[in-house]
Amino acid sequence: MKGDKLLYYSLLPFAAVVIAAFILLFAVISYTSAPAIKEYGWRLFTSSAWSPSETGPKSSKYGLLAPLYGTLVSSIIAVILALPVTISTVLVIEEYAPPQTRDLIGSLIEIMAGLPTIVYGLWGLEVLAPILKVHVYSPLHQLLGFIPLFSCRPFSGYNILTAGILLAIMVLPYMVAVARDAYRSIPMTYKEAALAIGANRYEYAKIMMGMIKPGLIASALLGFGRAAGETVAVALVIGNVPLISSCLFKPGYTISSLIANQFSMAPLYPYMMNVLFTGGLILLIIGVAANSVAVIMISRSRLR
Amino acid sequence: MDHAIIVEKLNVWIRGNHVLKDIDLKVPQGSVTAIMGPSGSGKSTLLRSINRLVELVPGTRVKGKVMVFGRDIYSEDPYRVRKDVTMVSQTPNPFPHMSIYDNVAIGPKIHKLVKSKKELDKLVRWALEKAMLWDEVKDRLHEPPTVLSGGQQQRLCLARALALKPKILMLDEPTANIDPVNSKKIEEAIKALVRDEGITVIFVTHTPAQAVRVSDFIAFIYNGRIVEYGPSRELALNPTHELTEKFLRGEIG
Repeated sequence: MKGDKLLYYSLLPFAAVVIAAFILLFAVISYTSAPAIKEYGWRLFTSSAWSPSETGPKSSKYGLLAPLYGTLVSSIIAVILALPVTISTVLVIEEYAPPQTRDLIGSLIEIMAGLPTIVYGLWGLEVLAPILKVHVYSPLHQLLGFIPLFSCRPFSGYNILTAGILLAIMVLPYMVAVARDAYRSIPMTYKEAALAIGANRYEYAKIMMGMIKPGLIASALLGFGRAAGETVAVALVIGNVPLISSCLFKPGYTISSLIANQFSMAPLYPYMMNVLFTGGLILLIIGVAANSVAVIMISRSRLR
Repeated sequence: MDHAIIVEKLNVWIRGNHVLKDIDLKVPQGSVTAIMGPSGSGKSTLLRSINRLVELVPGTRVKGKVMVFGRDIYSEDPYRVRKDVTMVSQTPNPFPHMSIYDNVAIGPKIHKLVKSKKELDKLVRWALEKAMLWDEVKDRLHEPPTVLSGGQQQRLCLARALALKPKILMLDEPTANIDPVNSKKIEEAIKALVRDEGITVIFVTHTPAQAVRVSDFIAFIYNGRIVEYGPSRELALNPTHELTEKFLRGEIG
């Protein structure tokens, strides 16, 4: 018993490191953001201007609205596209596929999760974006151009929609992992109950998905959190223009790609570093919010 | 006499284990049959062979014939079979994410048994009344089933099964996990269903007393074989087989 206590107290510092790192992260980012927020106030979040000037803070214009918009829109697109695929994948893996296929898909998804994101970015840049432009965006614009989302001509494949699609592919493994855990927690007796009332495959799937709804919400939120924070792959395909447009074929910007692109120049301009840290603070808040709600949902989704 | 269920030379293997051996069984329409026997004798598997749930266990092989009202169910659409032959499981398993009302309404919705909300309301009420639960839940139909006690949940599952207007109702040790008061209600509900609705009932039990109280016929099953089958009272009072006698005396089980 005494040994137990000793072990507990000797391990405590390591757990404390995690908490300390989190607090420190928040503190440093907030502290470094503060001067920018003080100098530019709300304009920082309500304008999209980006014209740094070396002469002084008064002649520089910084606005994070367009990147924030791009971050939210590309991540929402990613989740909207990935969620149906997640649900189908979980059903295939857990219900319909024979064991070998199931294991194959399962391992492939795990490998996908572990790939360096720059690989996705290069593939998006060289393969995905050009293909999408010719075979998807142009026909979509011609057929459904009356819908504002597709109303502008796709001049290139580098736009918000491509970023969303690439992100959907990238966050899929994480979303599948969470949804699959939730699905596996469904006790056999509920599955039997659904079948015993004569539910066919579609109705059965509907009942099961209803049962793990909190798990699916968690999966979507975690996917959103990851998509919002993804940097390099997005920077390669989104076009990097601080634009806000209802048309998905227009290039955009995200906070993380802004930080990555501008960071090397930041020391040359007054306050730019602080502005970029403010972007980091926004990302941190989005990430913490999405992940906390997801964690709550996961604990609620446990059926046993 | 018309038979609701005729089982002929039914053999079931699950992962190589010969679980049911040459089962022959004829269940008269509108009767209650108790399947009685020790644990692991194949009672539940027999039940699940009659609504084809047995196939869901990987590595299951079924040989033989199961006729339900003259139809060979193994050459039919399993979803339709399960609508006509519904089952209540051993553990109460109402869907936790649906309201009490929706738990009962889900079956009729799936099989499109009703045309309007009004008809559905009526059917849900009928099923809950037949399961002797209506009075206890009529004011909280839209609450989750978790507000109910275990025994009430089991009667909710009975209502869910009844809402499909089944011809045959199967119950797998329906009172094994609930208290005596709720057990009695379920037994009464079964008797009333047979008397008033002409439903054919098969249930699994391992208490002889319950089998005698509720059923017209008892099938005693041991080690995958039906050892004895006959009118309940007769079988319980004068078992012809030594194994049946031993089971009734509580020596095996």
